[in-house]
Amino acid sequence: MADSVLEIKDLVVEFDTTDGVVHAVDGVSYEVAPGETLGVVGESGSGKSVTVMSALGLIQMPPGRIVRGEVLYNGRNLIGLPIDELRKIRNKEIGMVFQDPMTSLNPVFTVGDQIAEAILEHNASATELEARKRTIGLLERVGVPNAERRFDQYPHEYSGGMRQRAMIAMAIANDPAVIIADEPTTALDVTIQAQVLDVLKDATRETHAALILITHDLGVVAELVDKVAVMYAGKVVERGSVEEIFHAPRHPYTLGLMMSLPRLSGEIKKLLPIAGNPPSLLNRPAGCSFHPRCRLYHGREICRTDVPELPGGTTAAACHFTSEMAAELEREAAEAGIAAEGGRIG
Amino acid sequence: MATFILRRILLSIPVLIISTVIIFWGMTEIADPLSSLRLLPNVSQQTIQNIVDRKHLDDPWYVQYVFWAKDLFTERNTTALGNNPIWPDLKRAAGNTVQLIAISEVIAITTAVWLGVQSAKKQYSVFDYTTTTVSFFGFSVPIFWFALMLQALVTGLFLWTGFRLFYTFGQSSFDIASQGWWAVLIDRLQHMVLPITTLAYVNIATYSRFQRASMLEVLNADYIRTARAKGLSERTVTMKHGLRNALIPVVTLAAINFGGLLGGAVITETIFAWPGMGKFFFDALSQGDAYTIMSWLVVTAIAIIIGNLLADIAYGWLDPRIRYD
Repeated sequence: MADSVLEIKDLVVEFDTTDGVVHAVDGVSYEVAPGETLGVVGESGSGKSVTVMSALGLIQMPPGRIVRGEVLYNGRNLIGLPIDELRKIRNKEIGMVFQDPMTSLNPVFTVGDQIAEAILEHNASATELEARKRTIGLLERVGVPNAERRFDQYPHEYSGGMRQRAMIAMAIANDPAVIIADEPTTALDVTIQAQVLDVLKDATRETHAALILITHDLGVVAELVDKVAVMYAGKVVERGSVEEIFHAPRHPYTLGLMMSLPRLSGEIKKLLPIAGNPPSLLNRPAGCSFHPRCRLYHGREICRTDVPELPGGTTAAACHFTSEMAAELEREAAEAGIAAEGGRIG
Repeated sequence: MATFILRRILLSIPVLIISTVIIFWGMTEIADPLSSLRLLPNVSQQTIQNIVDRKHLDDPWYVQYVFWAKDLFTERNTTALGNNPIWPDLKRAAGNTVQLIAISEVIAITTAVWLGVQSAKKQYSVFDYTTTTVSFFGFSVPIFWFALMLQALVTGLFLWTGFRLFYTFGQSSFDIASQGWWAVLIDRLQHMVLPITTLAYVNIATYSRFQRASMLEVLNADYIRTARAKGLSERTVTMKHGLRNALIPVVTLAAINFGGLLGGAVITETIFAWPGMGKFFFDALSQGDAYTIMSWLVVTAIAIIIGNLLADIAYGWLDPRIRYD
């Protein structure tokens, strides 16, 4: 897509460990357009976070290594960019919200100073006072009450939800074109999660930024995103709009994720976990990495020998037998008692 | 922060009083402070009786304590035998040790922090391995051996070249005062280098290990990644966000150590004949005068209390989570 603001193309990232090479990210491609929200879904260790961290040069190198691929920000490749150039992109163009707000803020500086620091870093002309005013405005925008007083408080005086709001304020401090949120609600109480997601959604809408939301929470995906990339063992195995992913998954792994999701409406009588465990990234199964856990495998040789390609286009799945998915869905629906058109979102 | 410091200072006062009570009780009540004098055949019964009267030794120990504590920092605090004032000598010894300790601690902390940070940033590099090796050498080597080797080295250099770089003994040269203040300063520095090197080396070894470990831990912290994601320079990330956190253990350790060192770098001062607290203690022990030893213990206790106070203040200054009020 020509109008995408951030495009990741065939990114391969490996880590050297004492046990061998870990193939954390293996040919991942996805893109987001301005104002669009992309959800990146997958189990722990599927390479979701490493992909975006590598894009901004935030993985440790060594042991990490970007083997090949491009990260195009408005057509400009960020991979291999000198660190001083990359620093101008960080926060200024691409803001990040991390998973654990308890540890992501520096305990020895005030929250306000840490946000103002981002403003001062990217605006050479801004004075401390201007940065302070803008920070207070940002804190108000993300719903931190008494922002004036809260500016001078330390992270340990904030609750978890408030800290994550502060992290969002920091991420949008320089009106970035892209916001990357890496499991922003995982460490929070369920009651706080919805509030923080709302803040994130509003912040994105106001700045017309693209949002990449990394999560393993399908409820969050359903609520917030436009399109989804499903990752498994370092690869994108399916991508499509949120409706397609939920109603008509084309990859057996995506279907597995849906089957293991509890629903308040009680349409599913029983939760069906995906059999087995995610593969070790040191030593992945040959062929399709998912085949030992796959419901469509039936011992077929091609699954063991050939790695399925992810076709281009906005809707695609990397599976040799994606054509069998329609029948599988119907069978599953009949068995588990889902309405024929698939589960309701959320 | 002001209330925090004030409260720490106020808390130190009862600690000091209790420690003097323990010192006095332990030194006078557990054993007779005059026992060694009573054994000497040339000390008459009359002399002993005079000391007993002068030190109120016939009264209960807490009465003795009040008389003793009242005069502690005056000319009236005297040795048992000979009635010589203790405080002037002790004050001079403390001053000499402060010179030694202050300089060696400043050198040790700055060097060790720098070494520790660089080692952590370049973990498993040649630099890191070299620092580790030299540090472990510093840990393992007995301090007296290291001091003697330094003396041997400097003496050997003098015998070989005839050039006197540093002195291996004492605090100042005889008759140096007549040659002007500049000569006095140079002479003092020449005398100080070896004891300072000895003290600093051991402390650098310890502190740099702590600094390296805490820096390594901090550099992997999430907030360091946040700082990088803000687009800050690597220098700001490590020196501002990293070091401020990584300093906490080392500064605490150094401040507590400072108090302990003041009480006596006994071995170092004895080897280099530095007229400080360590040598004072060594001499007091060999003379066996309980009142001299008690006075030394009180000054040492004060030094340790001040060291702990400094540690608390430094800790509170570095880490806002400690500043409860």
